[in-house]
Amino acid sequence: MLHAQPDKEKWGAKQISYELPITHQHDYSVDKSTFGMTILSFMRNIYYFLISDLDGDNCPFYPSCSAFFIQSVKETNIFKGGLMFADRFTRDLNLFKDINHYPIIKSGKFFDPPYNYTLNSQKIKF
Amino acid sequence: MTRLIIIHLIHRKLNFNTVLLLLIKLLKSINRKNNLPVILILECILIITGNNHAQQSLDYKPPIKAKKQNNLKNDTNLVKQKDLYSPKNRLKFGNYLYSESDYLRASGEYKEYLKNFDNDTVRFKYSLCFYRMGLFSEAADNFKSLFFDPSLSEEARLLFYESHFFYDDYKTYHELVEKENYMPVVFKKEVDRLNSAAYFLDNSFLPDTTNLLRPFDDSVHFKLADYYYRKKHTASKSLTTAVLLSIVIPGAGKFYTGEVGDGVTSLIATVVSAYLAASNFHNDHNFRGWLFTGLTAFFYAGNIYGSATSAQIYNARIRFNLQSDIKLYFEQRNYFLPGLGF
Repeated sequence: MLHAQPDKEKWGAKQISYELPITHQHDYSVDKSTFGMTILSFMRNIYYFLISDLDGDNCPFYPSCSAFFIQSVKETNIFKGGLMFADRFTRDLNLFKDINHYPIIKSGKFFDPPYNYTLNSQKIKF
Repeated sequence: MTRLIIIHLIHRKLNFNTVLLLLIKLLKSINRKNNLPVILILECILIITGNNHAQQSLDYKPPIKAKKQNNLKNDTNLVKQKDLYSPKNRLKFGNYLYSESDYLRASGEYKEYLKNFDNDTVRFKYSLCFYRMGLFSEAADNFKSLFFDPSLSEEARLLFYESHFFYDDYKTYHELVEKENYMPVVFKKEVDRLNSAAYFLDNSFLPDTTNLLRPFDDSVHFKLADYYYRKKHTASKSLTTAVLLSIVIPGAGKFYTGEVGDGVTSLIATVVSAYLAASNFHNDHNFRGWLFTGLTAFFYAGNIYGSATSAQIYNARIRFNLQSDIKLYFEQRNYFLPGLGF
């Protein structure tokens, strides 16, 4: 039901929160499939805890660069995954990447999955 | 007569004409000679004023109040009387569902019908239901049962081939066409056209143009020949060239594949980090020198790998777009197939 607004409410200071709502949740689970993956996911969790969670969700890509690295290593190996990550990091530095032809997902991020960069043409999907 | 008047009084308002008509009838029923002139005068008045409405009023019958009946019992009787689940009614309902494109339920009705009667048209429509639902494997199996039917054999054979074609198993389709075991005589050209279309849609192998374009009309030869040459000689980028260019000049491989922004970024990142490494070594800041050397190696290696993936993605995109164009071209023309009368 609507009520008339009294003056004291009308002119009173309103508490506004400028805190950005949390739109993403990091996956802190530790991958125990191999010893290397356990160490990598542990290091990723440290990065999430100390940097990413404080800095915010700033990566314009989906999956984010850190998640891309973990997925790349899991899909290929540490060496190839590292190269894929180096390429992704360089592409992330490109100021004009929005002109590029990345598909944009609902959250407004560029969809750039690691399976397109494994040098296996059968895995590439559009 | 009195009853008639009472009924009209109860159920409907009497108008002037009706009263006159009733009066005439009353006088006639009394049957006296003296009434004759009066009856004549009244009839004249009735003719002048129009007696249609009055006659309708007299013909009026009061509504008979329906007795309350047990509805459930009534419905059960109806089902018993009409026998809704008879094969004939199932066929009727199946045809209705088919016309409404409800192929799943229509196939169920046809199946029940076919348990009692064997009808080639129904079997054909039953198979078509699977075809329309995209269950091509089941459709092909069912069409096979009509191969030796005198009336629908040719159509069934064509749809058998179509089912295999749309199942996207082009290899099996080519084998079936080569064997010619089930080849329809009337629709041989249609099957050959589908065979050529399968070569266009398949990525594995392309025969020479003469054989490939023979089943099609001359009007579409030019367009299909264009697709053929684009498919055979795809304007792809070489991975080796992209990698070699990136080794010589960082980012050049990305320029080659059309990713100018990424190429410029690679070049700047590699050159700046290399300059910082050299500058720090020059000023005896060895730790920072090695740090930037590592960063330079990171960008340089990433640039080479990225050029290779960029060339591969470029080629995949070219192929994907061409395949989409070809598929759309055939789809818009219904794969040059005749329309079905069902």
